[in-house]
Amino acid sequence: MELTRRNFVKSTAVAMATAAAAGTAVSFAGCSPSSGGTNTGGGGGDSSMVADQTYTAVCRYCGVGCGVLVGVKDGVIISVEGDPENQSNLGALCIKGQSLAQLLYADDRLTVPLIRDDKSTKGTDGGLREATWEEALDLVAEKLKATWQTDKTRMAFWASGQLPITDGYVLAKFWKAGLLSNNIDPNARLCMASAVVAFMNVFSTDEPANCYADIDEADVFITWGANMYEAHPVLYQRLVGRKNTDTNVKHYDLGTIKTRTSEGAKTLIFNPGTDIAIANCICNYLVANQLYDEAFVSDHLKFQTGMTDLGNAFEDGYDGTDVIKNSGTTAESSLEEFASLVAPYTFEYTAELSGVAAADLEELAKLFADKSLKIMSFWTMGVNQHNRGTWMNHCIYNAHLLAGKYAQPGCGAFSLTGQPTACGTAREVGTFSHRLPADLVVANEAHRRYTEAVWDLPEGYLDEIQANGPHTVKIFRDMSSGKYDFFWSTCNNWAVSMPNLTRFLGKGDKKGIIDTFVVVNEVYPTLSCQYADVVLPAAMWVEREGQFGNAERRTSVFEKAVDPPGEAKWDMWIILQVARRVLDGAKIGEEDAFSKLFGFIWEGDDFKADARETCKAVWEEYRIFSNPSMKASVEALNTESKLKMEAKQLAPYDEYLTNHGLLWPVREVDGKWLGTSWRFNAGGPQEAGYDAVGVETYGEAGKAGDLSFYKTAGMKPAVCFRPYEPPALSPDDEYPFWFVTGRLLEQWHTGSNTTRIPDLNNTLPEALLYINDADASALGIASGDNVRVTSQYGTFEIKATTDKRVEPPAGRVFAPFFSTDNLINLAVEDIYCPLSKEPDYKKTPVKIEKA
Amino acid sequence: MAEKEGFRAAAFAAAGIIGLQSVYNLIADNGFLLRPPGIQSEEDFLSRCTSCGKCIEACPYVAIQAATWQAGIAAGTPVIDAASQACQLCHDFPCVAACPTGALRDVSKREDVRMGTAVIDEELCIAISKSIRCEVCYRSCPLIGEAITCEYRVPEAGNRGFAIFAPVVDAEKCTGCGICVQRCYVRQPTTAIRIEEAQRNQ
Repeated sequence: MELTRRNFVKSTAVAMATAAAAGTAVSFAGCSPSSGGTNTGGGGGDSSMVADQTYTAVCRYCGVGCGVLVGVKDGVIISVEGDPENQSNLGALCIKGQSLAQLLYADDRLTVPLIRDDKSTKGTDGGLREATWEEALDLVAEKLKATWQTDKTRMAFWASGQLPITDGYVLAKFWKAGLLSNNIDPNARLCMASAVVAFMNVFSTDEPANCYADIDEADVFITWGANMYEAHPVLYQRLVGRKNTDTNVKHYDLGTIKTRTSEGAKTLIFNPGTDIAIANCICNYLVANQLYDEAFVSDHLKFQTGMTDLGNAFEDGYDGTDVIKNSGTTAESSLEEFASLVAPYTFEYTAELSGVAAADLEELAKLFADKSLKIMSFWTMGVNQHNRGTWMNHCIYNAHLLAGKYAQPGCGAFSLTGQPTACGTAREVGTFSHRLPADLVVANEAHRRYTEAVWDLPEGYLDEIQANGPHTVKIFRDMSSGKYDFFWSTCNNWAVSMPNLTRFLGKGDKKGIIDTFVVVNEVYPTLSCQYADVVLPAAMWVEREGQFGNAERRTSVFEKAVDPPGEAKWDMWIILQVARRVLDGAKIGEEDAFSKLFGFIWEGDDFKADARETCKAVWEEYRIFSNPSMKASVEALNTESKLKMEAKQLAPYDEYLTNHGLLWPVREVDGKWLGTSWRFNAGGPQEAGYDAVGVETYGEAGKAGDLSFYKTAGMKPAVCFRPYEPPALSPDDEYPFWFVTGRLLEQWHTGSNTTRIPDLNNTLPEALLYINDADASALGIASGDNVRVTSQYGTFEIKATTDKRVEPPAGRVFAPFFSTDNLINLAVEDIYCPLSKEPDYKKTPVKIEKA
Repeated sequence: MAEKEGFRAAAFAAAGIIGLQSVYNLIADNGFLLRPPGIQSEEDFLSRCTSCGKCIEACPYVAIQAATWQAGIAAGTPVIDAASQACQLCHDFPCVAACPTGALRDVSKREDVRMGTAVIDEELCIAISKSIRCEVCYRSCPLIGEAITCEYRVPEAGNRGFAIFAPVVDAEKCTGCGICVQRCYVRQPTTAIRIEEAQRNQ
């Protein structure tokens, strides 16, 4: 057989993986002394080695944010173990965390800047040449500066829920204040945007009121579109632990496919998109039968109605239509009106629509009506990646708020994040196109004044960025239409993760990413690098100091434990090197712009201090946002505009190291900094995790449940009616299957890290399309056959399986998105929620043919 | 078929690299040799197998290899090193179909196969001994939830409230295909799950 180059690469990869699997890992051991260094027997390392030094850190993968302890010997990581003092995981880990010791040491690390001289080589694995940092930085800065000075609508930065907090803060400050641009958005747009918009709409503050420890006390768990077994492994371990200790604890799993999370749960499979009807059905039962929590409703809630019949984002001009420009508008309503609006969602009607039995819906609704039960709802991408994702988030809050089940120990509605610092960086420091740090938004004048005060900018300086910038899908759509000249990303592999890759990679009729000058900060070569004009080698994870903010509001620091390889550099260093070149000659008032913004950490051509001191200095400035008393002008504006910025108060940097992470808001009580487990809840002292300081300072005592939603206007979160509206696209004769995408435990996101750890990659080396037995045999497909999956957007090949790890019902299929060999997003629709602009990865109609 | 040929080429390349190491892996401490699907018993198999190599040729995954001289009298007969390439339980069993002597016979579906039985070393298994969320063997099992189930155990003293997700093999249902062995995260000193002689349902 003639080996083509591609075949050769694949053969070699298989051979190497197999060699490693057979225990002949000599070639791998050669690339790093730590290969297999988890001292558990799991990684196959030398457990006799003893670390010289142990550092505290946080796992770099999912949103659970497990604390880890990193053991280092002779400058190399030899072990990673769970950190028992980090309260998010109490020492527990999954195999991804367990394999972290090998993360840094695959032999294809990017260690030198790379430049592409010939754009026609884009989309191939060639065409990049080595360059010096000076040349690469000068080139990036020259392109960015030219675009910035000519037409700054033609440039964008795509940030990440994996970029540490201080890096994200510096990036946001550079882009928003330095370049006066909102053309920056994070990949969190793809995973958390619907949760964010709903949090802001309902509570006027982003992120959950509850915490992970609530799992230990809940009576009922409801997972809504959340495969926690796979996507939040350690948190799910805690959930099952709770079920184990009390057999009365119930778990209901609601989804469009049966997953491993369904095992041991009462599984309610619903027709795609009808989850909104199910939540409304619960609310209807509560209000129609007066089984809601009357004290909670009268003390805490207001009612709203919103815009309906929003259509879907098929056309690029969708956002500009009047319907969508007004889609976030709400009108004041009443309990009575809400009751009449949810009245059609009877058990019978909802059962018919959703496919869930009426008796099961009634059972679910009665749980909410039972005042004695503590219910924890968890949801992830099934809810957020939804053409009505923001609405569905609202609907879950509606049910919990009406039932009075929120912000109490063991009882609440909890939005899980997908990435280690989606909360900490993407959300909290303002790398969204509409945000500023600390929940502030560009469109709000008081928020701009406040930010100017923190950043010492002239009053009105940020007025130029008062209009929201483009969201992620718009950036990619416009780039594919030739509307961008400069695009930069870090901690991202968009060439695998974006939906509708057929369009965005220029494989359709658009030129896509080819003409745009693309800069990629990366640690390993990815498909995105194949579309880059410049690749900047970044230090990864504990090769630099950083901080993550996880799903439960816990901020944790990860210490620098080892040096980066070769010439790889800290992202913050890269950003500031470009910033000082681009801002050269620019002024803010009479002062040099770069010095004004970054002179506190930077001098000449490098940082003023080491990584720890630099992070501390950035943190101390960022902390002013949530500790206005640190600066008089800021404090005055906080009082004057009633911003209540202490609502997400952060502690001094060292406190996070000492405590192995803290849940914000962090309050200073008698000289000690104390975290908050239950926001808005004054049911106990701050020391016990209640929001005693916040409620005392801003809220009202003595309300139902000892709660006071002090950050919300009028202290009343909104129950907002949101109707069922159908998915953007539905299967038809040509495309008869729903295609659902998602994650599996062993591989993380686009696999750019996890596929490089041989022991880990060997556990799930291939992405498969899960198909129901009956569908497979009707199509003449046997398990193991290659199939072609095609939508109206694009097509890809993948091996089908009827194995039962994932069990889609008839007419639905599932595949994970980690594999570059099966680019499933070539066929996924890029339709998004009109409010959050988060794309729906879960409902693309496809056809399946034997390949 | 092109895809399977590609895989064969890749797997042959892999087999070359494995070299002597795999020979060692083929023979368990107790002398157990993992045979292709359709084996009835080692005694029956050896009485019929002529070492013709047809099953080896038929295997699209190159899971079946000829045992080398270390296997003694079994040298030349077909064996499988599950840790490097397990039997994938093809739906049409090309190896069984290719066997001219009936040494491999009487399987028409996965559930019929009894090549051996997976056995978990609970000390090596990090899911059981260290409460790590692993249980890869469970998820990779083609008969997930049947041949390998996931048992949620309450940890012993010092419980942090996190359940142990313990993989458990059902010897009645396990086919012995060895996919769990191939996928096992633990590689040193051996995999934490291994195939041993079938505990047959008589």
